Amino acid sequence: MLPEDRRVWRQIALIGLLMALGAPLSMALGVRYDYTLTNVALGGALLGVLCGMTGSFAVLRSQSLIGDTLSHAALPGVVIAFLLFGREAVALLLGAALTGGLGVLLVNWLVGTTRLKPDGAMSIVLVSFFAVGVALLSYIQGRVGASQAGLDKFIFGQAAAIIERDVAILGAACLLIGALLYAFWKAFKLLTFDPDFARAVGLPVARLNALLSGALVVVIVLGLQLAGAILMVGLLIAPAVAARQWTRRLEQMIVLASLFGAFSGGAGAVLSALERGLPTGPLMIVVACAVVLVSILFAPQRGMLWRLLRQRAAEEAS
Amino acid sequence: MSGIERLLIEFLLNFFTAEQLNAFFGDPRAVALLIGALVAVATALCGVFLVLRKLAMTVDAISHSVLFGIVAAFLAMLALGQTPDLSAPLLLIGAAGAGVGTVVLTELIARSRLVKSDAALGLVFPFLFALAVILVTRYVPNVHLDMDSVLVGEIGVAWANANSHCFARCEPVTITADDPRAEMARRCLNCAAEGISPRSPRAVFETYCSNCGTFSAAEAWQRRLIAAPPELVFVPRALVPLALIALLNALFVLLFYKELKLASFDPDLAAAFGFRPALLSYALLILVSLTAVAAFDAVGAVLVVAFFVIPAAAAYLLTHRLWQMFLIAPILSVSAAISGYEAARALDISISAAMVTALFALFLLIWLLAPRQGLLSALIRRRRQRLLFAEQLLLGHLYNHQHTPEAESESAQVTLHEHLSWTSGKTARCLARLRAKRLVTFEAGQVRLTERGEALVRAFREGLMAG
Amino acid sequence: MADEQYALEINDLTVAYHQQPVLWDVDLRVPSGALMAIVGPNGAGKSTLIKAALGLIPRAAGDVRFFGAPLKRARARIGYVPQRNSVDWDFPTTALDVVTMGLYGKLGWLRRPDRSARQAALAALDQVGMAALAERPISQLSGGQQQRVFLARALAQGADLYFMDEPFAAVDAVTERAIVSLLHALRDQGKTVIVVHHDLQTVREYFDWVTLLNVEVIASGTVESAFTEANIARTYGGRLGALPLALNSSHEADAYVA
Repeated sequence: MLPEDRRVWRQIALIGLLMALGAPLSMALGVRYDYTLTNVALGGALLGVLCGMTGSFAVLRSQSLIGDTLSHAALPGVVIAFLLFGREAVALLLGAALTGGLGVLLVNWLVGTTRLKPDGAMSIVLVSFFAVGVALLSYIQGRVGASQAGLDKFIFGQAAAIIERDVAILGAACLLIGALLYAFWKAFKLLTFDPDFARAVGLPVARLNALLSGALVVVIVLGLQLAGAILMVGLLIAPAVAARQWTRRLEQMIVLASLFGAFSGGAGAVLSALERGLPTGPLMIVVACAVVLVSILFAPQRGMLWRLLRQRAAEEAS
Repeated sequence: MSGIERLLIEFLLNFFTAEQLNAFFGDPRAVALLIGALVAVATALCGVFLVLRKLAMTVDAISHSVLFGIVAAFLAMLALGQTPDLSAPLLLIGAAGAGVGTVVLTELIARSRLVKSDAALGLVFPFLFALAVILVTRYVPNVHLDMDSVLVGEIGVAWANANSHCFARCEPVTITADDPRAEMARRCLNCAAEGISPRSPRAVFETYCSNCGTFSAAEAWQRRLIAAPPELVFVPRALVPLALIALLNALFVLLFYKELKLASFDPDLAAAFGFRPALLSYALLILVSLTAVAAFDAVGAVLVVAFFVIPAAAAYLLTHRLWQMFLIAPILSVSAAISGYEAARALDISISAAMVTALFALFLLIWLLAPRQGLLSALIRRRRQRLLFAEQLLLGHLYNHQHTPEAESESAQVTLHEHLSWTSGKTARCLARLRAKRLVTFEAGQVRLTERGEALVRAFREGLMAG
Repeated sequence: MADEQYALEINDLTVAYHQQPVLWDVDLRVPSGALMAIVGPNGAGKSTLIKAALGLIPRAAGDVRFFGAPLKRARARIGYVPQRNSVDWDFPTTALDVVTMGLYGKLGWLRRPDRSARQAALAALDQVGMAALAERPISQLSGGQQQRVFLARALAQGADLYFMDEPFAAVDAVTERAIVSLLHALRDQGKTVIVVHHDLQTVREYFDWVTLLNVEVIASGTVESAFTEANIARTYGGRLGALPLALNSSHEADAYVA
């Protein structure tokens, strides 16, 4: 291994250690890890890891905003699943994945057959699917007499309602997607960097694309409960953007993004426990954005501060 | 706003009676359709440029960040001791600032070249939205800011949120103790203090006037203090701001049509002409933010995006001409608003969601059937072209090989399909069509071009090279 | 090996976008060991020809063979250098890592690049004069250096036939010289190289073979035989106003070299 890479790995280890210290620190400050908080914090951290892994690819492939479309497009699926199967969690997740995935396909189809650009297609699908979901939801509320609260749980998430089983599902998803990335590492990397070359070498590009999109669907659908539809895209992008500033290797970026994601998720949960009524999802986003800000400013070599210092030095030299 | 509302009513009173106006503005259906139509027109006008400039996702971001501006201004007004209301200037400034701020911040981050611009956008608006949610839950616990309605709007009850304006018998009524309408009552002065019953002989009484004071004409009528009601006209609160922003957007598009057109297609050339494309695009974004605020009450932060983007996108599928897009988009948008409202009433579902669903259905229909860019016409055209194309290909192949040594094998009737990598069936069908058109002939197992066929190939190839 | 005589054999290839032909009934034979330029005006289908041959875009008709075999069986013998601006150069990776990607096709699914792969990648970088910058993040490379990294990646593929899409586009003089000497070295090793090229003036100097393309093949052969004024005029039609000038200066260049 090269000294430069070793230095970055050491930095990553240090960052991980510092972030892990947050847990004992919060205990010392009087945060009580009861059943709910433990679940929310663990769930948030696991979701952060998932976001770090898949978000890195989304950001590098210039598909950052497809996550926003996907999370909104999940609403009709959730409502239909609720209508058919009630509060069965697995059914709700499958429903969300179904219409979310459908939304992504529709975006691709629109871009492929019309003059519309990706942003227009994404925006149309996002808001149309969402509207269909709201219409369906209001239909149910008018008939079944379900509580009015359904929509804002979808939009803002409902972190406090997370139970052990949800944490287990998130953990399983982490293992699954981690294994997927490990197995197809070279292929995903080449596909992300240079799709033309990947195809020329003979990789099954369409199938690999579908795998990556599928992973994204899984992550976003699982994240809806914690972060909500609107903020999900932020949690997907922020850890990857922050991690990009620290390294010049994809593997390091993914590891660091997962760490940042875990920290944002966990810290957001803990912060929301400090005071009654503080929302979890938004706090996760705020923490994640703070990490981005710190990274953009202070990350060694790429950060603005170092760039400024280098400029200053160059000016003085000349 | 209030002054403009009054002017509008005074104008309308020239044509209608106050009763007619109240009947109209008190009709949920009429008001919802009117408001829906205004939202549709105001947004569609901005939407055309937004879609052309690839700002569709930016609108999505703006509509979310505008919430942050509103919440921040709301809190600022509370701190200043003012009563917040959606048309207060500070709120509008906050909203416009947040909308433009989103774009500026995104550009700033992207310009550092450390973050791609789509990722930057995806960071900025969730951050601002998260801040807004935190501010609301932390600092506005008592004020009921219903997030459901902020996100999807309440166009169905727009008629009920009304301002009243008085036009006759508006004098306030002051009642004094000697007025015949004054109602006199007695109260015990020392009962509470001494803990005795009013029936007690020790109780001391005074007489006072229970309805003295000054009342507005409306209150006076409610209390039956005046014989005839004042002449009041109620105007839905959302109406005038929406009408104003629609007017403003229309003026903007009309006045800066050619500048906007050029700046959308070729920003560099526009800059060279001194049109200040950056300035124009910020003006556009300010209008978008203001339109989003004005439409919030009616259709909410998320669904308003649909009104901006979908009609313009549908118009884009129907025509290549910019001015036609400006006609088509509002028409589509208004008709979707009307049909969505009727569907929502019939099915008893959310009105704004039904309007957007109708808009989406309209879009899908246009995508399917559009004359040139529709799926169906593309399918038909592709089928026709494929046949024509195969014919041209075959003719070209024959032409290329006709006087070469390998012509014998390249144009043999039985092996021709191998050279083209076609199935023999396809080749045979194509040959049959060509023969029917007298472009090829068969001679001793060889396919030969006729003179007409040769001329056609030559003309076609010249066309290709020139194109 | 059935037909080793031709490294590339294209028969009746037609490619269309939206049913509008971009390449029209192209027949092309490139003998093994040829160093060939493909030239033609903008929109003549030069890049399309390469991409269609490599199966990156669908073809409407026709058949392509490499060393007598179809693409599937010949893939390991083909190297590809895409246009430089086709990728995002802010991707988190180093020059050496990009070159190592050239070996992914040979490694199979699960195996990671090992020490020998690293050595091969370093050797390829050395060949283009980039060994010193092996560990540089690709975002910090100049345009010419990025182009050389792409060439090194193709070299690492260890192919017998190379396709290069506009390698000379917007590169510095050092890189241009490095590419030329690399092309000649490859030719001397008996490799076949097909280069999409846009500069008529350097065709004679850099290449032995040339194909003049404008939707269809106008002429193909050795530079001596095919790169004639008449053929160039036919290829560029009336569209190249400065055509005689370009030819003259290239003659002058020849004279000067001689």
